[in-house]
Amino acid sequence: MIRKHVLAALALIAVSTGSSTAQNTTLDLVEPITEYKIYVTEKLDRLVADTKTFTDAVKAGDVTKAKALFAPTRMSYEAVEPIAELFSDLDASIDSRADDHEKAEADPDFTGFHRIEHGLWVKNSTADLAPFADKLMSDVTELRKRITALTLPPDKVVGGAAVLMEEVAATKISGEEDRYSHTDLWDFRANFDGSYKIVELVRPLIAKKEAAFLAKVDANFSKVSNTLDKYKQGAGYVSYEKLTEDDRKVLAVAVNTLAEDLSTLRAKLGLD
Amino acid sequence: MTKRSSPTRDISAVSSRRAVLKALGLASALCPFGGMAVAEGTATPPAGRHVTDAPVANAASPHDRVPFHGAHQAGITTPRPANGMIASFDVVADTPDALERLFRRLTQRISFLTAGGTIDETDPRLPPPDSGIVGPVVRPDGLTVTVSLGASLFEDRPWLVRLKPRRLIRMTRFPNDALDRQNCHGDLALQICANTQDTTIHALRDIIKNCPDQLILKWKQEGNVPVIVPGPDGTVQSARNFLGFRDGSANPDAADAALMDRLVWVGEDRDEPAWAVGGSYQAVRIIRNFVERWDRTPLREQELIMGRVKNSGAPLHRRGGHEFMVPDFSDDPKGVTTPVDAHIRLANPRTDDTRDSLILRRPFNYSNGVTRSGQLDQGLLFICYQADLERGFIAVQRRLDGEPLEEYIKPVGGGYFYVLPGVHSDADHLGSALIAAARTGLAESVNREKRTR
Ligand code: HEM
Repeated sequence: MIRKHVLAALALIAVSTGSSTAQNTTLDLVEPITEYKIYVTEKLDRLVADTKTFTDAVKAGDVTKAKALFAPTRMSYEAVEPIAELFSDLDASIDSRADDHEKAEADPDFTGFHRIEHGLWVKNSTADLAPFADKLMSDVTELRKRITALTLPPDKVVGGAAVLMEEVAATKISGEEDRYSHTDLWDFRANFDGSYKIVELVRPLIAKKEAAFLAKVDANFSKVSNTLDKYKQGAGYVSYEKLTEDDRKVLAVAVNTLAEDLSTLRAKLGLD
Repeated sequence: MTKRSSPTRDISAVSSRRAVLKALGLASALCPFGGMAVAEGTATPPAGRHVTDAPVANAASPHDRVPFHGAHQAGITTPRPANGMIASFDVVADTPDALERLFRRLTQRISFLTAGGTIDETDPRLPPPDSGIVGPVVRPDGLTVTVSLGASLFEDRPWLVRLKPRRLIRMTRFPNDALDRQNCHGDLALQICANTQDTTIHALRDIIKNCPDQLILKWKQEGNVPVIVPGPDGTVQSARNFLGFRDGSANPDAADAALMDRLVWVGEDRDEPAWAVGGSYQAVRIIRNFVERWDRTPLREQELIMGRVKNSGAPLHRRGGHEFMVPDFSDDPKGVTTPVDAHIRLANPRTDDTRDSLILRRPFNYSNGVTRSGQLDQGLLFICYQADLERGFIAVQRRLDGEPLEEYIKPVGGGYFYVLPGVHSDADHLGSALIAAARTGLAESVNREKRTR
């Protein structure tokens, strides 16, 4: 099955290896990339606005409100993570986890969303969190500034579809991302939406040649979507701990298969 | 996609120990289980190479090829190469069709990997079709991949549950166990063995890459056995485990087909489901060794705990002898020479009523890292095969419960699995009989439903 895709992709590449066709392929991508830039901008505007409300609540000492805003605020970040990660300094200070740091939770470099999450859930308090709130606010503002000024590299955009799945497969499916709040299912939703968005944008370019590939990818995305829907609650999701073992397996194989299949997306579009 | 490589050497039936021992005039000592051969009137000693014979230095070749096809899967009675691992998976398969798809893919990958071949070149803009860790030409390198199924695979699927091998259960705790659930059980296990570690890892990565939609890796444990340089007279002695004792000396002779049919392979006489004939029960135990403590234990005590001489491997009543001499406790009922709770005496008391609990061991040593207490995390990846799990591993382990060795060992993981019967030809695939039986069962229950309606 994978082999078929490989052959199909080879056929596509065969027609696009001449330099003029290669050019065309890149030209074809202009529209999807432009649209993706709009998508990213919207997400970042939203991130900046939501982070403001969230960090205001933290600084006002409103634990309940801050807790309620934590997961929804992160979603706009998670949806465009592959682009945000282009700036590794900011990604580290916004979204690193305790175990990325030698002294874990006690490490002074442990800042950002998860540092605040730790205070809110483990300590059930906003004490000492104000400096982290300010830092987070200024980091996301800086992130928006940098990305606005950035010309999105096509390979990073197209490759982003797979990158999001790789991240879920490598360090999220286990529930270790939001380990204090267990709001991982919100993150999953945002990661999958972000990946699907990219597939949607390039779909017209490969719809004819890659019908079988797209059908398989779509089937796995809807499997994920249907599984997550079972855990909906209000505008968001129940705790990761409620995820059954069977559903975790369904998600795990869907993610791995999407990561495997989407790893060929760049080649299918003639990108290196 | 791939071409087979050549030439290869078939190493399914290398014979070494017998020739050597015969030359030494020791053939009479060969019978691995006491009075048994006599009782059964076996005049000639069992022939051939024991599974646990140590891999011989400089003898392994990348061209070694263990045939994939046969009545039984490879990797059980075939000689143990220097490297082995167990990888355990959860399986996603809701229907017989889905499970068949997985079995067919495994068959296809394993038959390629164990034969070897050239990896096709693909467009460099695509991820390469192979991890490349053994280069563009995959050599068989003595590789075997043995597929087995856990109880949960059957129990979680209504259309499979009645086909579960009768003695297959989820591994339960023994008194000395401290099982870590992260390292236990699974729907499907792969035992992957080869001359080099790279070949085992290459095979694992190939299978993971090719089955992302059906296999979820749960745990794995790698191990190896030291390669032995033959003595001046040509003898190859058993490799040592991490307690420094020779391991494998008294293993049943895997080259004795009739013996294996009785001890290891499930035959038609075993009142197992028909599909299971040709398979075997596999017990896997990850057993940590407290090596620092062991190294601080007096030699005499170590030997009394094991029941063998540390240097030579000889049984205690034959102190000056060698490891292949058959332990005999008949004139030592009180355990003066060999304590009655010595490991080998409890494991195999060599009495009439323990004869049917013989097992075929095929273990590897493992060395993982450092514990939180700053001790070495080393031990034995214990693997054994038997036609009856209850009478084999479970009975032996029950006898071992409470043995003095327990102070130095801690089982921390593993599981029980049922090894699928062999793949007969290119037209066949792993688990074909199981799938056929599951389909028949489904059809019958649909008919039954129709009738009752
Ligand atoms: C870390 C744990 C273990 C160590 C270090 C160990 C070590 C040994 C050694 C040194 C021997 C003597 C040489 C030989 O005949 O192979 C032996 C024999 C044996 N062991 Fe173990 N063993 C361990 C666990 C087990 C377990 C879990 C079982 C089965 C439940 C087992 C069953 C046997 C049997 C059946 C024999 C052969 C006895 C005979 O026929 O004389 N061992 N073991």
